[in-house]
Amino acid sequence: MALLQIAEPGQSAAPHEHRLAAGIDLGTTNSLIATVKSGLAETLADNQGHDILPSVVSYQTKHTLVGESAKQLAIADPHNTIVSVKRLIGRSKTDIEQKYPALPYQFVGDNNHPEIATQQGNKNPVQISADILKALVSRAEQNLAGELTGVVITVPAYFDDAQRQSTKDAATLAGVNVLRLLNEPTAAAVAYGLDSGQEGVIAVYDLGGGTFDISILRLTKGVFEVLATGGDSALGGDDFDLAIVDLLIARAGLQRPLSIQLERQLLQQACTAKELLSSQPSATVQLTLTDGQTWQTELSQQVVEQAIKPLVAKTLRACRRAIKDADVNLDDVVEVIMVGGSTRIPLVRNDVELYFKRTPLTTIDPDKVVAIGAAIQADILAGNKPDSDMLLLDVIPLSLGIETMGGLVEKIIPRNTTIPVAKAQEFTTFKDGQTAMAIHVLQGERELVQDCRSLARFELRGIPAMTAGAAHIRVTFKVDADGLLEVSAMEKSSKVASTIVVKPSFGLEEQQIAEMLTASMSNAEHDMQARMLREQQVEADRVIEAISSAIAADAALLSATEQRNISDALNTLQQTRLHGSVADIEQAITKLDTLTASFAERRMDASIRTALAGHSVDEI
Amino acid sequence: MNYFQLFGLTPAFKVDLAQLSATYQRLQKTAHPDRFAHGSNQQQLLAVQTSALINDAYQTLKKPLRRAEYLLVERGTELANEQSTFADTHFLMHQMELREMLENIAEQDDRDAALFAARETLDCEYQKLFIELEQQLASDTEQQNNLAGDTLRKLKFYQKLQHELDRIEEQLFEN
Repeated sequence: MALLQIAEPGQSAAPHEHRLAAGIDLGTTNSLIATVKSGLAETLADNQGHDILPSVVSYQTKHTLVGESAKQLAIADPHNTIVSVKRLIGRSKTDIEQKYPALPYQFVGDNNHPEIATQQGNKNPVQISADILKALVSRAEQNLAGELTGVVITVPAYFDDAQRQSTKDAATLAGVNVLRLLNEPTAAAVAYGLDSGQEGVIAVYDLGGGTFDISILRLTKGVFEVLATGGDSALGGDDFDLAIVDLLIARAGLQRPLSIQLERQLLQQACTAKELLSSQPSATVQLTLTDGQTWQTELSQQVVEQAIKPLVAKTLRACRRAIKDADVNLDDVVEVIMVGGSTRIPLVRNDVELYFKRTPLTTIDPDKVVAIGAAIQADILAGNKPDSDMLLLDVIPLSLGIETMGGLVEKIIPRNTTIPVAKAQEFTTFKDGQTAMAIHVLQGERELVQDCRSLARFELRGIPAMTAGAAHIRVTFKVDADGLLEVSAMEKSSKVASTIVVKPSFGLEEQQIAEMLTASMSNAEHDMQARMLREQQVEADRVIEAISSAIAADAALLSATEQRNISDALNTLQQTRLHGSVADIEQAITKLDTLTASFAERRMDASIRTALAGHSVDEI
Repeated sequence: MNYFQLFGLTPAFKVDLAQLSATYQRLQKTAHPDRFAHGSNQQQLLAVQTSALINDAYQTLKKPLRRAEYLLVERGTELANEQSTFADTHFLMHQMELREMLENIAEQDDRDAALFAARETLDCEYQKLFIELEQQLASDTEQQNNLAGDTLRKLKFYQKLQHELDRIEEQLFEN
């Protein structure tokens, strides 16, 4: 514990600037934003005092509505009002139509990049999500009276690469800096973990509106190590609603196809009944049919439980698999945390308790717990808590692999591998003089290409012409701390880095995002340039701060010449940052990066040696 | 720097797992990208690289068969390619018998008992080979290292069977 703050002579002892940061729970049904204020994480409310923002966007001809006002148009204006867009993000049209045949939207665009036609034009899921993010960020910036340095956005642990990348793209489009994509169950564990100081194995059961996650974590001395994660990115409270809708349709003797308005009405009634049944034994459902007549029925808790029981059983099977993957026993689990609105359903609580043989924790509002955990993480990542001991070690939920002969998938990084991770695999040419090679990257557990999810196709070009089998092409798969994949390739003997043409199977290419950004600006070219300059200046500030404090701490690792060269380049960057163009600043940063590369490595090695020696501050 | 050095260990097959895990967490607290989330791009890239290396080292040292393989490679022992033919026909015959045992589980009247018995058999034979491996690796002579390479290969066969058994168990449970 730091009782005294001791500053070295000449080093500033001033408390460093508090950076505004927030955690965002971008949910299927509802979204929230939270921040840490005077040491406490809390969700931020709008002017009317509501923290929950329904994840609904309505595109009117002249303006866009987000939240409650949009939700109220869901029945009257279903074509232009997008509900639960999270279920569409990073998905193909085929995926969507197979899973949700009754959606009221008019899909346009090609199969892998579906868009929804609205009266305001075509909107893709990334843009729609960006509109929700913008609403949340502007709420926070008003509330905190300042610009956010960055945000942590939560995603279901079971989200695949395309879904994660699309979520990050949405943030780019909304103009917010993402400090980290954080898995929802991990965020919940953080919210609870810091409260109770519990150590040991914990299970997080997260049943939201559209997704189900189960994560098994080990908590030791502030380290949250995810051991395994599992779930279903298309199973949630919405599916319970759909099961109740089917029940109602059968009871009312209705025949599909039904009008879009009636479908929406059924869905809202089913959802209301489900929520009521969490606290009372029966609920009345009333429908206005197409002929104007009213139809009414009484739903008992028992009948509804029967309808949703198979779905709950499916979640428990995933729990069993996760426990096995984590290589722990059920008895090792010391705490079960419940997250997500759907865990309010008595049957869910009951079955989870029976399975884990312990009463689940529900003390933090299951709707807010994820946003609160994300806020705590955002505060640390923004650098507001330099003494924090907390560290999150997460995993990738689904195996990554490539297509090999015969339509089979060869796994390169297995699921539940701790991230960040880098794995390399060698390939060779099979024809004389072959100069290019196609690689298909997939994600999933199954053996056949058709059963896995296609992430991207790569073409390696510029391989020097050699006899078959002579080229050694090393393909490196890198998954960063956001769980995002990056692939690079190099021909080993010639050291030629092959050019890679990336074609993401789903979601957007960088160019498209840039275009959308430009399109959303009033004075496109000017605004875009101003934004790029601002971003480059922010990066320059980070570089200046990072290097100045590195020199202050570890000048001993530098020779006099090195130190002089770095100081000169640092001065240049400081000057350029004030008056230079985007390219000038970029160049000055690159120069400084080159000059300090080996210094950065020496510092990292030194801190690793210190850590190894076991003399970390907390142990003295 | 090899993985043992990265974790401050003398290369050996025996590893104190509790200590390994503690060192792992200490190293990640130093190098993880979260520590540099507000830093420069250069710092972040270096952190991702170092942190990934620590992760791989930890997984390699934690899992006994991966650790054995890593140790043998470090010692310069030539390991047989996975696809190359296996000379020990007696061992291969026995593997086929075991595979048959697994395939027959679904048809047994008492599947639970059959699953349990199969698990016992696999675990027991695995354990026997594992002790052999420990002894061979402990002596660290060229001859013993080569024998250890063979034993390691056999253990991998057992690991595959254990995975197969997991899959069968999962399937029976789902139905």
